[in-house]
Amino acid sequence: MLLQLNHIYKWVKQGGKRVFLLNDISLQVEEGKFISIMGPSGSGKSTLLNVVGMLDEFQEGEYNFLDESVHALKEKHRSRLYKEYIGFVFQAYYLIDELTVYENIETPLLYKNIKSSERKALVADILDRFNIVGKKDLFPSQLSGGQQQLVGIARALIAKPKLILADEPTGNLNSKQGEEIMQLFKELNQEGVTIIQATHSEANAEYGNRIIQLLDGSMRA
Amino acid sequence: MFKNYIKIAWRNIWKNKLFSAINIISLAIGLSASFVIGLMVYYDFTFDKFHKDGDRIYRVVSEFQSAEGSFYNSAVPVPMCNTVEESFTAVDKAAYFYTWNAVNVKPQQSSQVYKDPDFVMFTEASFFEVFDYNWLAGHASQALEGPGKVVLTQNRATKYFPNLKPEEVVGNFLTYNDSIQTVVTGVVADFTERTDLIFEEFISLPTAAQTNQAEGILKGNWDWTNSSSQLFLKLNPNADLVALNQQLKSLSEKHQSEESKKFGQLQVYHLQPLADLHFNEDYGKFDFSSATASKGVLTSLIYIALFLIALGCFNFINLNTAQASQRAKEIGIRKTLGSSRSQLVFQFLGETLLLTLMAAVISIFLAVWLFEVFKEYIPQGLKISLVASPIILVFIVLLLILITLVSGLYPGLVLSGFKPIKVLKGSQNQQEGKAGLRKVLTVLQFAVAQVFIISTLLVGKQIHFLITKDMGFKKDAVAYISTPWHEQSFSKKEVLYNKLKALPQLDEVSLGGMPPASFSTHSSSILYQSKTGEVKLDLEQIYGDTSYLDLYGIELLAGRSILNDTIEEYVINETAMKALGFKSPEEALQQRVLNGGADIPIVGVMRDFNQRSLESSIKPMAFTGDISRSNYSQFRNIHFSFPAAAEKSLGQTLDKIKASYLEVYPDQEVEVHFVDESISRFYQREQRLSKLLNWATGLSVVISCLGLFGLVIYTTNRRTKEIGIRKVLGASLLQLNLLLCKEFLILVLIAFVLAAPVATWFLRVWLQDFAYRTNLSWWIFALSALGMIALALLIMSVRTVATAMKNPVKSLRTE
Repeated sequence: MLLQLNHIYKWVKQGGKRVFLLNDISLQVEEGKFISIMGPSGSGKSTLLNVVGMLDEFQEGEYNFLDESVHALKEKHRSRLYKEYIGFVFQAYYLIDELTVYENIETPLLYKNIKSSERKALVADILDRFNIVGKKDLFPSQLSGGQQQLVGIARALIAKPKLILADEPTGNLNSKQGEEIMQLFKELNQEGVTIIQATHSEANAEYGNRIIQLLDGSMRA
Repeated sequence: MFKNYIKIAWRNIWKNKLFSAINIISLAIGLSASFVIGLMVYYDFTFDKFHKDGDRIYRVVSEFQSAEGSFYNSAVPVPMCNTVEESFTAVDKAAYFYTWNAVNVKPQQSSQVYKDPDFVMFTEASFFEVFDYNWLAGHASQALEGPGKVVLTQNRATKYFPNLKPEEVVGNFLTYNDSIQTVVTGVVADFTERTDLIFEEFISLPTAAQTNQAEGILKGNWDWTNSSSQLFLKLNPNADLVALNQQLKSLSEKHQSEESKKFGQLQVYHLQPLADLHFNEDYGKFDFSSATASKGVLTSLIYIALFLIALGCFNFINLNTAQASQRAKEIGIRKTLGSSRSQLVFQFLGETLLLTLMAAVISIFLAVWLFEVFKEYIPQGLKISLVASPIILVFIVLLLILITLVSGLYPGLVLSGFKPIKVLKGSQNQQEGKAGLRKVLTVLQFAVAQVFIISTLLVGKQIHFLITKDMGFKKDAVAYISTPWHEQSFSKKEVLYNKLKALPQLDEVSLGGMPPASFSTHSSSILYQSKTGEVKLDLEQIYGDTSYLDLYGIELLAGRSILNDTIEEYVINETAMKALGFKSPEEALQQRVLNGGADIPIVGVMRDFNQRSLESSIKPMAFTGDISRSNYSQFRNIHFSFPAAAEKSLGQTLDKIKASYLEVYPDQEVEVHFVDESISRFYQREQRLSKLLNWATGLSVVISCLGLFGLVIYTTNRRTKEIGIRKVLGASLLQLNLLLCKEFLILVLIAFVLAAPVATWFLRVWLQDFAYRTNLSWWIFALSALGMIALALLIMSVRTVATAMKNPVKSLRTE
């Protein structure tokens, strides 16, 4: 078992009333799964991903990640946990504009205090794998959207995470680029990386081996 | 990791060139000022720190207390010097010396005669027991035993006996004042570190018997204190200072003369620590060519440096928190990639450090330039190479770290505190939270700048007032020329006087002492037996011939001027008249006052005029002739006035005057002193203060305006969309400008409201020192506020006009 959510509730107060962002979410994710979360805008897809990624808090419920009780952990400990096991891929790529492709990919390793020689080897490997060696000294603004997302995924993978959280990874891409990215996810999944993606697209959702439907913060299936 | 920080720091700095430049320049200004000021402070506070047991060395000095206030003298009566060591157990060693102005000195083998050797003293072996010199030749204990011995510093030895080694110099002869024979018995190394003990020639005390001041140097008496008779003490390690001061007090009471008792005067002895020597203006240093350092001035300089640095740091905090939203994305991403908050804070501190280092490099160049600008302020011995001394280097490193922390920590904490999901969702891109702090810092900046501006204006006004105020005598187109001080011959002066009188280009010519207002004072105490009782008065005297008062346009209120040049008659001023108890000028005429043995009639009363800088009030004074000519002539200067139309031919006239002077006194230097120039020299200190203030004002205004400019750019950028919408809705350029400038103008006004009372308080205190002062006029404040507002508007409109003129279609299209 990679992670387990038990009766997660998250709400905000609006005019004295609770508005539920996540309403009684329970979910078990085994290692090696590829899960797609679907639902209309505002249904809580991103919120769920953020909670799973430990970027966001929740008010009620239990969250266990590799036998650690995330809800009981301190910020520092939690940050160590996700630094170790989780990689993020965003719809808007979120590369650091001031860093080159190479440096963007290298950054997570810096925060894990990995030695310089080892970093070089790891980054070189992944650049090679993604066929972007020639672009390593370019800045994000010099790349196309698909290339930027490729870098984003490379960066998410560099630290060898167990879990990749992808929030609408193809949302800003055209269909051909989108398909390539989804193919990449599928390959990664086959290599054993657990993936949870949020998506609007039925077609993309089909890449996963389980689909979860969200509406107004509640699971429907 | 570190390399990565530096890299991204550099790219961020480069990306925001304008903001970085503003940050760097404002910090560099503050840094360069503090480098220069730090050097000055370090320099002045490291005088005479190297002496062995320096903390046990004291100079005994005198304070003359009387009803009229205190006078200070760095010396003590000679008999005291002979008693302290035996009478006071706290004293380990006592060193008496007498600073001597020899007329000339001649080395035996040399044909050259050295005139006016400086830093010569008569002393004994005890001097070298108090102060530890390194003896290159000779022995401290024997070198000054008996008459006719002299010890030289290496420096002097080389001057008098070039090419001789120290041990070879010993045994050579030096002749002082053409007659006093001495043999060199020792050579000591000059002090290599900073010192005010600048003596070069030490003549054995018994030699003084051969001088014409033998009595004064060797014996003296308790009622007479010559500023040359100096006494240094080295106290025992555990000396009881309280007890010693008590002993000194009873000593001074024991030797108080009957007359002093009658008039309530007392000579009090104080122990002046060696460390105080460099700073105490009352007692002065041994080198008269430079003034004592002022702790007050140094403190104000430190404050100025601190203010300038703080202003620079404020800019940094303001611009970085204002820019926070632009960096929010980077921070959010870094956090999701696993960065901890402290890692982010370190990253920002690294960036700040890089900027600070760049500012430091620039400030070195600025400092070199400031060093040039403030040459007159900076003591002669202070060279910029002093920077290389370890203490200064450590200080610089600490300063840079401190600046980095002060200016980088807060923005770092704010930025690193962003919640990543909020940032990435875009809900935090309008980071407005820290606007309050920015406003406070901006107000502080402008308040400091305003205080400086108001002070500059007022100090300028006061100087103008001092220089142009009617002092009560004619000071324009009047000049004087001094005869050489060692030429006592009166006939030569008369020859020169007649030559000048014969020049048709000069209006009036007069032989006399100093001009009506000067740095020097002659004062003696007189007695007047009035009907009601005895009046004792300290009466200042100026000396001149029969045409002196006319030449300086000093008006007589009653009576007449003196009858001839040497007659014992007084023309007193109004202040003296009142002090002696006369109701009207006429009443004073033909009354007689006692000055020492002389019984002198008052023949006239002259209108009051200022005898000194306008810091002091008018003192009782009498004009008289050359009454002591048989002993010592007071007529040392020849005064002359130029006719109204003399401007054009002034150069030629001056040449003629100089030529006449050289005919009478060949080989002398001639200098014509214009009275108005000598008067403006009274205010050198004020003029220097004014210059300093101009700079402090300029720099603080520059820093504040740079910061304002940065903030305006930031705000206008942020409000581009709003401006576009308003423009579409029909707002005019002026309305838009007003809208954009309003929030900053309010800050500038608040700053003024804060600054005005602070400046008023400081300036009131400063003006207290002047007997005559200008008003703190309302227009100074108005001018300062208006100037600041105008400047702020100008700077803001550079940016706001451009923003307001933007085509709204363009600014709205991006949405």
